[in-house]
Amino acid sequence: MGKSILAICRHAPYGNALAREGLEAVLACAAMDQIPEVLFINDGVFQLLEQNPEGIGEKNLRRNLQALPMFGVETLYVCQRSLETRGVDPDRLVIPGAELKLLQDTGEFIARFDQVLSY
Amino acid sequence: MQFTLVVYGAPHGSQGAATALRFARAVLASGHRIYRVFFYGDGIHNGSALAAPPQDEQDLLGQWQALQQEHQLDLTVCIAAAQRRGVLSESEASRLEKPAANLAEGFELAGLGQLAEAAALSDRTVTFGG
Repeated sequence: MGKSILAICRHAPYGNALAREGLEAVLACAAMDQIPEVLFINDGVFQLLEQNPEGIGEKNLRRNLQALPMFGVETLYVCQRSLETRGVDPDRLVIPGAELKLLQDTGEFIARFDQVLSY
Repeated sequence: MQFTLVVYGAPHGSQGAATALRFARAVLASGHRIYRVFFYGDGIHNGSALAAPPQDEQDLLGQWQALQQEHQLDLTVCIAAAQRRGVLSESEASRLEKPAANLAEGFELAGLGQLAEAAALSDRTVTFGG
């Protein structure tokens, strides 16, 4: 026990079930007192935008995201270059209760962890 | 060294499923240990007993089962992901009042906590597919 764990969220919120299932795995790890750090990268940054998926019959992923701070995941890391290449303004990313930190060098960040879970 | 493998790739649909199997063999052949293989997302279909690929294609299920028997591998299928997609054990099928069970022999259903535990207890966690 006592390994540092990073969860990387790479998928847009509704195109692939791994977006939801990744956040569920993060919450499960946190519930077992192995609180991971969470990095949103590539299309995963779209998970942090305001969403309205009722029209396609999906549950809003926002509830899972908002649960993160309650489970001890208080900082959400976001790849700055992923935002830039997708034209996403960082001001549009808001998760109540969590601090957002933009990362310039995700490679250096990822290398710090013992284990990486990729979703 | 102790490994945990996480499989998101569906069998016969994603290369990741077959690569995971070959990686597992290579890990064991090199004298390392596998703590657990955790099937998640679409990867849970690897645990379906009903896959029936043509005879001239690789039988991934049979190969996982053979490897499991030979090395007493822990093949864990995430129960939440499996319920969504319809891979059920006898007890889950009866509890959920479904007409059939299809979890293959050698595989076990368990919760996501088993993934967290495996990551904590392994030297390496390697992900396939997704």
